[in-house]
Amino acid sequence: MANINTYDFADEEDEEDFNPQAEIGSDDEEDAKPVVNGGRRDDTSARASRARSEPKNDGDELKDEDADDAGVVGFGRDEDDEKADEDEEERPRGRRGGGDEEDEDDEEEDEEEEEDEDDEDDDDVQDQPSRKRRKRARGNQFIDVEAEVDEDDEEEPEEDDEMPGDEMHPDDLQDLDQAADRDDRKHRELDRQREKASQLDAEATAARLKERYGRQARSGGGTGAIVPQRLLLPSVDDPRIWRMKCRPGKERTILDHLNTRILERINSTRDPILIFSAFERGGGPMAGNLYVEAHSQDEVQKALDGISHVFHGTKPFLIPLEEMPDLLRTKKDKRLETGMYVRIKRGLYSGDLAQVDEVDPNGTDVTVRLVPRLDYGLNEDTNAPIEVDANGKRKRTIKPLANRPPPRLFSEGEAKKRHGRYLNKSSGLTNAWTYQGKEYINGFLVETFRVSAMQSANVNPTLEEVTRFASGDEDGTENLDLAALAATLKQSTATDYLPGDKVELFRGEQKGVEGHAVEVYGEVVKMKVDSAGALRGQVIEAPIKDLRKLFRDGDHVKVIGGSKYYDEVGMVVRTKDDRVTLLTDTSQKEITVFSKDLREATDSGGNVAGSKYDLFDLVQLDAATVGVVIKVDRESLRILDQNGSVRPLLPSAISNKLEKRRNAVATDRDGNEMKIDDQIKESSGEQKSGRVLHLHRNFVFAQDRGRSENAGVFVARHANVVTVAAKGGRATNGLDLSKMNPAMKQNGSPGMGAMAPPQQRGRDRLIGKTVKIRIGANKGMLGIVKDASDTVAKVELHGKTKVVSIPKEQLTQVDSHTGKAMGPAMGSSMPARTPMPAYGRTPFGASATAAAGGRTPAYAMGTTGGRTPAWKQDVGARTPAYAGTSYGGGAGGGQTAYGGQTSYGGATSYGGGSVWGGGGGGGQSTWNPNPSSRTPAHNPGNKTPAYGGGLEAPTPGFYGDHTTPGGFRGAAAAQQYTTPAAYTPGGQYPETPAGDGPTYE
Amino acid sequence: MFFVKSLEHRIDLHPSFFNSEATRYIEQKLFQDVEGTNTGTMMIIAVIGIDEISEPKVAPGTGFAQFNVAYRAVVWRPFRGEVVDGEVSSVVNNGFFVDVGGLSVFVSKAMIPPSMKYNAEDSTPNFSDAEGMTVQRNSQVRLRIKGIRGELGQMFAIGSIREDYLGTLMQ
Repeated sequence: MANINTYDFADEEDEEDFNPQAEIGSDDEEDAKPVVNGGRRDDTSARASRARSEPKNDGDELKDEDADDAGVVGFGRDEDDEKADEDEEERPRGRRGGGDEEDEDDEEEDEEEEEDEDDEDDDDVQDQPSRKRRKRARGNQFIDVEAEVDEDDEEEPEEDDEMPGDEMHPDDLQDLDQAADRDDRKHRELDRQREKASQLDAEATAARLKERYGRQARSGGGTGAIVPQRLLLPSVDDPRIWRMKCRPGKERTILDHLNTRILERINSTRDPILIFSAFERGGGPMAGNLYVEAHSQDEVQKALDGISHVFHGTKPFLIPLEEMPDLLRTKKDKRLETGMYVRIKRGLYSGDLAQVDEVDPNGTDVTVRLVPRLDYGLNEDTNAPIEVDANGKRKRTIKPLANRPPPRLFSEGEAKKRHGRYLNKSSGLTNAWTYQGKEYINGFLVETFRVSAMQSANVNPTLEEVTRFASGDEDGTENLDLAALAATLKQSTATDYLPGDKVELFRGEQKGVEGHAVEVYGEVVKMKVDSAGALRGQVIEAPIKDLRKLFRDGDHVKVIGGSKYYDEVGMVVRTKDDRVTLLTDTSQKEITVFSKDLREATDSGGNVAGSKYDLFDLVQLDAATVGVVIKVDRESLRILDQNGSVRPLLPSAISNKLEKRRNAVATDRDGNEMKIDDQIKESSGEQKSGRVLHLHRNFVFAQDRGRSENAGVFVARHANVVTVAAKGGRATNGLDLSKMNPAMKQNGSPGMGAMAPPQQRGRDRLIGKTVKIRIGANKGMLGIVKDASDTVAKVELHGKTKVVSIPKEQLTQVDSHTGKAMGPAMGSSMPARTPMPAYGRTPFGASATAAAGGRTPAYAMGTTGGRTPAWKQDVGARTPAYAGTSYGGGAGGGQTAYGGQTSYGGATSYGGGSVWGGGGGGGQSTWNPNPSSRTPAHNPGNKTPAYGGGLEAPTPGFYGDHTTPGGFRGAAAAQQYTTPAAYTPGGQYPETPAGDGPTYE
Repeated sequence: MFFVKSLEHRIDLHPSFFNSEATRYIEQKLFQDVEGTNTGTMMIIAVIGIDEISEPKVAPGTGFAQFNVAYRAVVWRPFRGEVVDGEVSSVVNNGFFVDVGGLSVFVSKAMIPPSMKYNAEDSTPNFSDAEGMTVQRNSQVRLRIKGIRGELGQMFAIGSIREDYLGTLMQ
């Protein structure tokens, strides 16, 4: 300290005499002015030795830095730091009382400051040995010192100056100076001071003092840099540390005892205690050891003589010099700051989160805010006998922790009910109460705890806990101290940052600077500045504690840890400081998390890795029950089962996942088909509408993204829904250019393919007719057809009373009167027959096998035979234009028969309205007028070459209906109208961009 | 925002379609394939012209011909910060959904002016304030897009009406 002061004041007029160079040189043995050094050293060491040999000078009242400067307490500080760190329990210090309290002061000071001060202290301490060393090395320099009394004199005032300068009030300075009377040199100093004082007017003095103190405050930090750490290590001339064995766990007791002993003997000359300090290193491996700093073993034994629990049988063990620093090594203590969160270790509130309200100056006690756990006397057994112990005092029964009340904010109303007598309103504050001797402010318990009773590391408060503290204000505003919370939470956050993360500096000089991380190492993030300003584009380094991740509204983010929302993905809807609210993709729920727990998401899926089941999977719960996954958590799933009930299930409770059957088909209420991805609407109840997710037996699972419950999924019976629009048709819409050209297929059987057979419905025309068997055992016999299937006829023979089944090909129809064959051959006499096997199933046929069936336009498009033309092939069936298209290249004959035939006219699907009838877009299109498909106007259209070759809308009717140019594109455009749901606003909503007229053109 | 964008699309053609109509098939197929689709960043609204249909290449092993079709299309791409109009499709307690063309936009409660409160008691759930501004199903609202998420085939966005001149449109 001395050297610093001198150094700083070197430029001052009146201080120049102090010879600053000497101070700098105090660490430098090769200094050019050894004389001065020697002199000073002599002086200082004299002081030091005086202090050490007369510990009583440092009485417990003596708390000022004089004691410190004396170099005695310096060690005490070191050890103190260590203790504070490693020991959970508060331990007494075996040092002389002088430094005790003051050291505790140090604890609560800023770490760096502390370090600096330590350095300073150590400096002082170290100065002694080094000075001694030097003194020894250059003993003859004494002579020089004596010779230059002048300088010596001027050293002294400096010593005096700096002592008050350190911590004392300027007023005290005067006192001190007066106290210097006892010393010869002090006299001279005083004279000098007075002389100077007379020279300087008061104002100048004030300025000088101010200057001095200002500098000192600043210079505090520099000390550590000046003195190399290695010089601070103890030397052989320093007191040694001795280890005594004692009863484990009794170390504190012993130290207390020792402390008392020192105080007792402080003024007695008999049996002085000559030790410098005593300490212990807490429990664990160091239990049962007591360390005493003294010059000799004898002093140690004397000091501890007669103190119980010390094992006097074992000799004090001298700690090797090189191990002494290890013994006193400190770990940095986590400093408590107002607003930080801690956890209470013991008692009623053990494990509870508390917010630091105030840290006592001595650093040992901390006032915290807690959510009280009170039962307001509800569980009090008023009739319980009051136990009186031996001393006649009432004993308090200690409540077992097991049934401690839940944490709730203090309510004076509750307290008044039973414990009104314990309740007092504190004056001044609006919402402050004293209840059972404890203070409650704004509902929180404000209580003072020892630092040791609190856990300040690994607090990990959850947001839920923190919000309790946040909502403490009466007006309900949040007063969440995010900086403090962040300070508590900032543990190993280096891993939270990745290059590329957008970050923001939220405190420090460059507060507000935004950028993205380019490199992360240790606790430092190198960030490239993106925000405008002088720094733009530069790469700056920022400590992690000053950084937070930056998210903007609308960012797509994923929760990467820290909360129960782990792995949720969503979009940011609000950011406030450190807290980010996002809307999850999966459940459309808003959640709030800390920005450090977020990362920009690249994957869009909300599914949780590791789960076998994804969102919206159809799963089998038991033999009769299926359900859809509506939420995937880390451990569990939420399932909406077929009965509409939602249950949380473990993945293990699910028997298996049902693969999505893309081509599953069900019928809706109107008998229309419904496929996955179709838009459906409930015909009753809430009339929910949605997109089909799964079809399973009777059940339709559909999703409506607009609903938030159950992730929008709902279940309905297939008979209770109607299809609004089919999306399923889209994929197979129009010509499938990746399959065989249907037109080409036709070419394979020219002439026939064109002849779409008339649909034979109901009674077979052959029944009741007279036929002749052409082939086989009954050849030539006549009979009447009693019954007929597609291929076989049952013929009641005229000749025998017998009914035989004969393939139709073997029959010839004959005139019942003449017996003559009615046609040249069966083929001609029964025109339907030949094509029958192939065409019998035409549009309405249930089987898809018939290749010929494919020749009907509708059929050709389809993959599944079960559909009516209209149904199956949305486009083909519904637009003659289209049919024409596909037929255009093929034989035209087919259209003749077809166009005019029942397949169109009688098409049930048309009649039923089905998709088209119900669909908004479809309804307006060509297809609405069902009869039109039967009108001649269409048929010719089909046949006209122009029509076949062109894409243009075929019929006037068609054209007219479509006001939009979409009609031009025939299939494509019309198809798009088929799914109005997908483009809902299109037609109805002119303002939307998509809705503009030509949008879907 | 609407753009005219040059795009490419590949079409495979079955050999049975190799005839004089092939070009027409290709065009028709193109319209079918791309119009109304959503690429995740934009929606292709209409093809306004085909620039080039490339010489076909026969895909090895299949006999299919591959055509690369270069075309120009009107596309709609929503941007963050863009102000758009849309129709409310549903109202839930923490916001409402708006259909803006093919884009579903969610307006979170955080992005609704604090004066607008959620009412579930009315005949239809709605957000309304004292001045009579009501957001309910089928209301037309003007909003600013705050963020967009695109998946193949669909887009989602969140929007805000917490600004001047945003909110329901008077009709």
